[in-house]
Amino acid sequence: MSERIVVDPVTRIEGHLRVEADIQNGKIVDAYSSGTMVRGIEKILRGRDPRDAWAFVGRVCGVCTSVHSLASVRSVEDALDIVIPPNAELVRNIMFAAQYMHDHVVHFYHLHALDWVDVVSALKADPKEASTIAQSISNYPKSSPGYFSDLQKRLGKFVESGQLGIFANGYWGHPAYKLPPAINLIAVAHYLEALEWQKEIVKVHAIFGGKNPHPNYLVGGMACSIGLDDVSSINAERLAYVGQLLEDAKEFITQVYIPDLLAIAPYYLDWGAIGGGLGNYLCYGDLPTNGYRDVSSYKFPAGAILNKDLSKIHEVNMRDDAEIQEFIDNSWYEYPENAKGLHPWKGETDIKYTGPKPPFDHLDTTKAYSYLKTPRWKGHAMEVGPLARVLVGYASGREEFKAIVDSTLQKLGVPATALFSTLGRTAARGLESALMADWGLGFYNDLISNIRNGDTRMANMEKFGPEKWPQKAQGVGHSEAPRGALGHWIVIEDQKIANYQLVVPTTWNASPRDGEGKLSAYESSLIDTPVADAHQPVEILRTIHSFDPCLACAVH
Amino acid sequence: MSTRPERPTYYEELLHRGYSRRDFMKFCTAIAAYLGLEATGAAQVAQALSEKPRLPVIWLHFQECTCCSESFIRSSHPIVADILLDKLSLDYTETLMAASGHQAEKCMRDTMEKYKGEYVLCIEGSVPTEADGVYCMIGGRTSLDILKEVSATAKAVICWGSCASNGCVQSAKPNPTGAKPIHKLIKGVPIIKVPGCPPIGEVMAGVLVHLITFGTLPELDGVGRPKAFYSKRVHDTCYRRPFYDAGLFVETFDDENAKKGYCLYKVGCKGPTTYNACSVTKWNNGTSYPIQSGHGCFGCSEENYWDAGALYLRNQPFPGFGIESDADKIGTAAAIATGVGIAAHAVMTNIRKSKLIKDVIDEGKDAEKEL
Amino acid sequence: MSSYKLLRRVFVWELPVRVYHWINALAITTLCVTGYMIGKPPAIMFGGEAWERHLFGWIRYVHFVAAYIFVFNFIFRIYWGFVGNKYADWKNFIPTNRRYFQQMWEVLKIDIFQTKPGGHMSVGHNELAGFIYFFTFLAFLAQVITGFALYEPMSDSWFAGMFSWVVPLFGADSYVRNIHHILMWFFILFTIIHVYLVFYHDYVEGRGEISSMGGGWKFIEEDAFEAHQKREAEEKAAEEKAATEKNNKAA
Ligand code: HEM
Ligand code: HEM
Ligand code: NFV
Ligand code: SF4
Ligand code: SF4
Ligand code: F3S
Ligand SMILES: [Mg+2]
Repeated sequence: MSERIVVDPVTRIEGHLRVEADIQNGKIVDAYSSGTMVRGIEKILRGRDPRDAWAFVGRVCGVCTSVHSLASVRSVEDALDIVIPPNAELVRNIMFAAQYMHDHVVHFYHLHALDWVDVVSALKADPKEASTIAQSISNYPKSSPGYFSDLQKRLGKFVESGQLGIFANGYWGHPAYKLPPAINLIAVAHYLEALEWQKEIVKVHAIFGGKNPHPNYLVGGMACSIGLDDVSSINAERLAYVGQLLEDAKEFITQVYIPDLLAIAPYYLDWGAIGGGLGNYLCYGDLPTNGYRDVSSYKFPAGAILNKDLSKIHEVNMRDDAEIQEFIDNSWYEYPENAKGLHPWKGETDIKYTGPKPPFDHLDTTKAYSYLKTPRWKGHAMEVGPLARVLVGYASGREEFKAIVDSTLQKLGVPATALFSTLGRTAARGLESALMADWGLGFYNDLISNIRNGDTRMANMEKFGPEKWPQKAQGVGHSEAPRGALGHWIVIEDQKIANYQLVVPTTWNASPRDGEGKLSAYESSLIDTPVADAHQPVEILRTIHSFDPCLACAVH
Repeated sequence: MSTRPERPTYYEELLHRGYSRRDFMKFCTAIAAYLGLEATGAAQVAQALSEKPRLPVIWLHFQECTCCSESFIRSSHPIVADILLDKLSLDYTETLMAASGHQAEKCMRDTMEKYKGEYVLCIEGSVPTEADGVYCMIGGRTSLDILKEVSATAKAVICWGSCASNGCVQSAKPNPTGAKPIHKLIKGVPIIKVPGCPPIGEVMAGVLVHLITFGTLPELDGVGRPKAFYSKRVHDTCYRRPFYDAGLFVETFDDENAKKGYCLYKVGCKGPTTYNACSVTKWNNGTSYPIQSGHGCFGCSEENYWDAGALYLRNQPFPGFGIESDADKIGTAAAIATGVGIAAHAVMTNIRKSKLIKDVIDEGKDAEKEL
Repeated sequence: MSSYKLLRRVFVWELPVRVYHWINALAITTLCVTGYMIGKPPAIMFGGEAWERHLFGWIRYVHFVAAYIFVFNFIFRIYWGFVGNKYADWKNFIPTNRRYFQQMWEVLKIDIFQTKPGGHMSVGHNELAGFIYFFTFLAFLAQVITGFALYEPMSDSWFAGMFSWVVPLFGADSYVRNIHHILMWFFILFTIIHVYLVFYHDYVEGRGEISSMGGGWKFIEEDAFEAHQKREAEEKAAEEKAATEKNNKAA
């Protein structure tokens, strides 16, 4: 007999996720992932001005802020055939890099780390030992014994206050925690450092988009005009500010994030064989360097991998209505024909809750059990996200990916198959952050040289006015959001939005099973996960968190 | 607020039970030793224990995008690590707390019991009211249910962001889930609205710091927003205001006027009708704000702003006439039509009333002759 | 053949009505011009530095000054509707009996559809004009309410402060602004038609319609005057009769 356990709310994520898992003999035998909040933003968009859509969909998520706005302006530009100036592409790429570095660092330290790091154990560490270890793995200046002992005192005072705040009721002392106290102490120190650092890198968004979270985008380019002779436009001072922020970010990623990742991973190498799940990976690609329409110019290549077969990259066509479809067999929605999948251009969002009447203890998982729809690519359940991107980049033979992946595998002494796992997912996120740190600076340098060469265009306003729009148009805007492949499909009719559908990374990963009973990424990756204590299921959190769930995104 | 009894500190409690200051210090030294702290640690522990308990805070997430939490952690003064470790005790927030599931629910219950009437309830997100609230459920309960229970024994409620203050994007037409802001759902507890999508991090921190430092609610305006941050329009202190008064406007994005930093009024800036601190406090530790980056304000802190007109249009489309028709276009057409009508009428008058007009004219001519 | 008619000079518009009228006409014209520019400011490319000019500030300032003049002038007119002569009386604008509607229909037939070339003769406003002025006054009121609601946030005056309830009522500033803007077009259309009709009447009837708003005098045919007098006498008699009957019943 198996025991059904419930984790709700799953915390240290974005949004409202509920996991129900059946445990038998200390292992998960079945799992259900449910999104329990819906807003209906796709419905709200209908009938509105397509140029405004980016602001609405931006509010889908404030954690991966800006990526929906980016996908949105791309979808409108795609529909209306608007080509943005090179500077706008670069500014968008720089903002994208900043978003990645922010999101991944915050995920690693503030959302994921407490699954691996025992905060209470850090109180027992020897600050001198922590200092020695820290100095051996990185040049980061904050690493003296005094630094660690001050922190420890502060922590001790905090714990002794009896008010543990966000650290209350954690799984401290659980046998699954394996790090020595000194490394726990380093991680806690960097938890606080990262908290302080993350507010800096987002200033890149403030400079180009006016604020963060939720910076401003613009159909046709960006609103931040370059005016080297004006104090309020993008001038030398603003550019220097961005450059400095990108340099500092690179330092943090290479001197704190990556070394910590490499210091923690060796204690959890068993997780290189747990939580792999589907083995199918999907990327739309991103970071165009020669226009959105030129997919070959992307820094992140597009493609799909099936059954962990890295020797073949399948092509993905987002416009083909037989490739990407969303199903609602186990979702709280209604379609004209419930059993038939819909391509997003024809997608519908009619909410229909059929679950148990709250308050309830268990979902009825024999029926619909989630507000997420179930997307499929050519009928396959696909995993999206950092691991998918790194694998597709690696399998495509891109040198940058090969170099960083191979050196990491070597450092950890594990085979490439360890990538298909919870650990692999968490590592991939770090690796692509390191790539981003470099790429961001590269885009920045390109922007500077463009301006030096006299190109100061930032927006193409030729077709901004609706008088030049066709009576009917449709477009796709895609992006590789931090959590994976993101697509926005828009249909414009009579200058208004006739349909707008988002298929979001977490929709792919966290969706309920499809009509044929095929599990999606979360559910399938939980199968066979060991759970030492069903009442403290930290193992479930490890694998679920390795995806970096965002449920506001997933349902929207 | 000031009427509530002060909770005794650990030190006070010990004194009350007959222990002396000496006993207290001995106890602290023991704890410090137990924790492996150095000698100075004991003094610090003593200080911590004799200080006031940190303000307990429960932070609920309903229909939201977590951007308010994200904005909060962007605060630069004070930085959020200091807020979390020294200033308050954030006992429940799904975004950052270590515990999940039952353990998380226990955190909430513990605080509600131990600090009944003393904890501050922060709310991020609106509450769906259609279909008995099933559009937002946490731990198998509806957000409406949770809101009612947790707010009942809170000292005050802070509504973070536009979601909690005015319903934000999900309450825009047709509001498929019946999303409502908090003040429409609960009564009997002081409510502070901190609108904005999201609000500025330093403003959020500022509201909390006010509560902690002065022990009182900040003074609120007529609709419940702290006056300190919401009493001025963005436009009142916008650095582009001189261009506005001069009549110098950006005509389209990235035109020559945009490169010169002219006023964004004609490309849709809603600064003249938006109450927020953006043009003074600015965003991300004073780095910039929407207008400074070349994009107009779209009024993200205002009631109803998603339905209050398209982003880039100064003159809103005329209802029922499509996106390009504003009142001026319709008005001009009507004026031309009127002109044509008048011309037609004048011609008709001369034809159909020719006799009458002739009579009047003849009459005058006769009189002239007679004179 | 001469159809010579005797014309009688009637004093219709008292000085306050005339002064009101021209202040009003001037204020509305100013408000339309400045209002239009507030809604759609003229494009000035490469216009130099902000400190060199204050054009938009002036436009708005003039709008607000004209707005105050407009409002108090309007309030004065309402007052005069209760104390002025019978041509200024509020009953000219609000239909209180069946005859008013009949007359309106007459005017509509004769002036607008031009069915029969005849002579409908009124002394003050004709009924159709009066009725349209009634709506114009309502539009004045709406314009004042929306205008001062928009003005309230930038003003410390108690008068503007009285309108702080308006924006919350409509839900957003932009709704109020839209109404305010659309109403401008009502006034523009009104003015075009109004001025045309004044000229039209003057031209067709030759009774000094245009100059009446200058000197106050209109000219009216003797027979029309007598018919008018007769009708008013009859109406008065009927009224008195009704009053005595009522008194008798009460007693
Ligand atoms: C016949 C009378 C009036 C006309 C035709 C008129 C017309 C207009 C128009 C067309 C606008 C531009 C609206 C837009 O932004 O789209 C405007 C703005 C405005 N009007 Fe009037 N208006 C009139 C009376 C008034 C009155 C009585 C007030 C009272 C104070 C007023 C106050 C305002 C204000 C405050 C604005 C907004 C100005 C700004 O945004 O700076 N108006 N008006
Ligand atoms: C050349 C310009 C104008 C002339 C010659 C003129 C003449 C007149 C005349 C003769 C009347 C009395 C109408 C009647 O017999 O029923 C009148 C009434 C009126 N006019 Fe004009 N008008 C002019 C412009 C305007 C303008 C620009 C407005 C404002 C939009 C305006 C608003 C009114 C109003 C509201 C009345 C009713 C007056 C009352 O009884 O209080 N007029 N006008
Ligand atoms: N899933 C998701 Fe997002 C991301 N990354 C969006 O596209 O998190 Ni809020
Ligand atoms: S108010 Fe805006 S920023 Fe805050 S949670 Fe709601 S949508 Fe996000
Ligand atoms: S940019 Fe906006 S807020 Fe600033 S002066 Fe112009 S209209 Fe006002
Ligand atoms: S859009 Fe919002 S961020 Fe400030 S400038 Fe306007 S209130
Ligand atoms: Mg969708």
